[in-house]
Amino acid sequence: MRRTLIAGSLVVLCVTILLTDYALAPRQPFATRPAAEQKRVTAARLARKTRDNAVAWALIAAAAAFFTFAQGLVKPPTPRPPGERRQAKAPGPPRSRPAAAAPELDLSFVEQLVSKIGRTKESAIPLLQAIQTHYRYLPDDALRRLCDLTEITPAEIAGTSSFYGRFRRSPVGEHIVRVCHGTACHVSGARQITEELRRYLAIPDGEDTDAARMFTLDEVACLGCCSLAPVLMVDGHTAGKLTPATACDALKVTA
Amino acid sequence: MSGLPQVVGRACVILALLVRSAPAQVIPYQRPVDTAPQADSIGGGYKVPAVQKPLPRDYWLQVLDVVALAAAMGISIWLVLKRRSRKWLTALTIASLAYFGFYREGCICPIGSLQNVVVALADPKYSIPMVVTATFVLPLMVALYFGRAFCGGVCALGAVQELVVLKPVQVPRRLDRALGLLKYVYLALAILFAVKPALTRDFLICRFDPFVGFFRRTGAPHMLVLGGAFLVLGMFVGRPYCRYLCPYAGLLAWCTRLARRGVTITPNKELDCGLCAEACPYGAIEKMRAVRRNCLYCARCYSSCPCERGVAP
Repeated sequence: MRRTLIAGSLVVLCVTILLTDYALAPRQPFATRPAAEQKRVTAARLARKTRDNAVAWALIAAAAAFFTFAQGLVKPPTPRPPGERRQAKAPGPPRSRPAAAAPELDLSFVEQLVSKIGRTKESAIPLLQAIQTHYRYLPDDALRRLCDLTEITPAEIAGTSSFYGRFRRSPVGEHIVRVCHGTACHVSGARQITEELRRYLAIPDGEDTDAARMFTLDEVACLGCCSLAPVLMVDGHTAGKLTPATACDALKVTA
Repeated sequence: MSGLPQVVGRACVILALLVRSAPAQVIPYQRPVDTAPQADSIGGGYKVPAVQKPLPRDYWLQVLDVVALAAAMGISIWLVLKRRSRKWLTALTIASLAYFGFYREGCICPIGSLQNVVVALADPKYSIPMVVTATFVLPLMVALYFGRAFCGGVCALGAVQELVVLKPVQVPRRLDRALGLLKYVYLALAILFAVKPALTRDFLICRFDPFVGFFRRTGAPHMLVLGGAFLVLGMFVGRPYCRYLCPYAGLLAWCTRLARRGVTITPNKELDCGLCAEACPYGAIEKMRAVRRNCLYCARCYSSCPCERGVAP
């Protein structure tokens, strides 16, 4: 800071000297003067030129020093890993909720369900649907309890629950973000938007929910509004014509 | 790629212009001496005093300048496209400023040589040496393939502005575009004044060069003040002369439309995080992609990229 100020004031000083020198230089017609005076004026001019040249070099050196020091001052902070940087910069989505520490599941619901729907193989899908509606996903404990209570084997449960895309086995976030990956959205950069959201929410590779269980990222086929491509839906809200920069703002409707 | 025939075509146009100017290389001519009164026209036994005639720079030194220009552009391309190193490019910028700017005192530069070439094309009595033609053509040829490599780290006028960029603001896109048209107006004016008959012609670009006064440490006071103003403005608006006034930039921009190997921000390699667009002081990154036409080869995009720093995947 101090070096910059010193160099800057040197620049100003040199410029002032040069300007004053120029302003003070005599401008009377040269040819009409007597020869002796012409000689004196010539010598004075040469001296002024040498002096100005020296000041100009000093000015260049001072300016170089000023810009070198000043650039050190205004240098932007080194970018940290993207996820970290985003959080620090923008007031991100609400993160106050601590990571859900596997709460004790209330399995009495499964018991009620079995007595209501039935214990046979045919009731497997209605049972799974009801469990998914209740817990928002298929908890392993609930499925185990289901096997104990019904005639359905664990293999059948595993097969059915993994075959249908509607069923999910991992916990879901509070809000579901559906990013359209239809043709129109794909060509307008849905991939980049998904990647940006992943970085923004710090979702690790191979997973779809952030650590705080606030958002689940879902890549869907088509949301049916290609004119808004690329588009995503957060719960009931649709946000279109996104860019990687604006995609993260779209999540704020949930805040 | 349909670009190759176009590149060849445009190179042919430039070569044809060269061939057209070739006769001008060999015509012996005499500089018109009626610009100053001579002994016989003054009369009265007046003797014109012996005039000091500085010898021209050695021919091989002039050729060396052209070689230096080509080499500097080569290094600039290598540093920006391969090394992606802003630090070394700054070193090259300082070196170019020292050599082409302060040592060669800003002459001959491709920007000004534009006028010489135009005059040589228009006036059969005016001849320019091959060195001038080469100085004019080389950056354009490079621009056909690599973009405006000349502007980054080679051009002395650009270098002095590049080094004073301190805290650049992003000029609004529309204003940027509108101001960018000024350079074509300037180009047209420069050509118009250059093709006038011998005694009335004027080299506007050289006369109104705002920075050459600094290189020579002397000059018209109003031009020095204007140059200072450009530098102060350049602290906050990146390279104002290059972007909005430089007539040669108009020609370079025209050539870069075919460039295949310029500065590129690729979608699969980089992140599309937008840091580079924020870092670009010249508004040359639109929608996360580099615009060759405006890219001034400063490598700030690469130096700001988390991928290049190895922080992000």
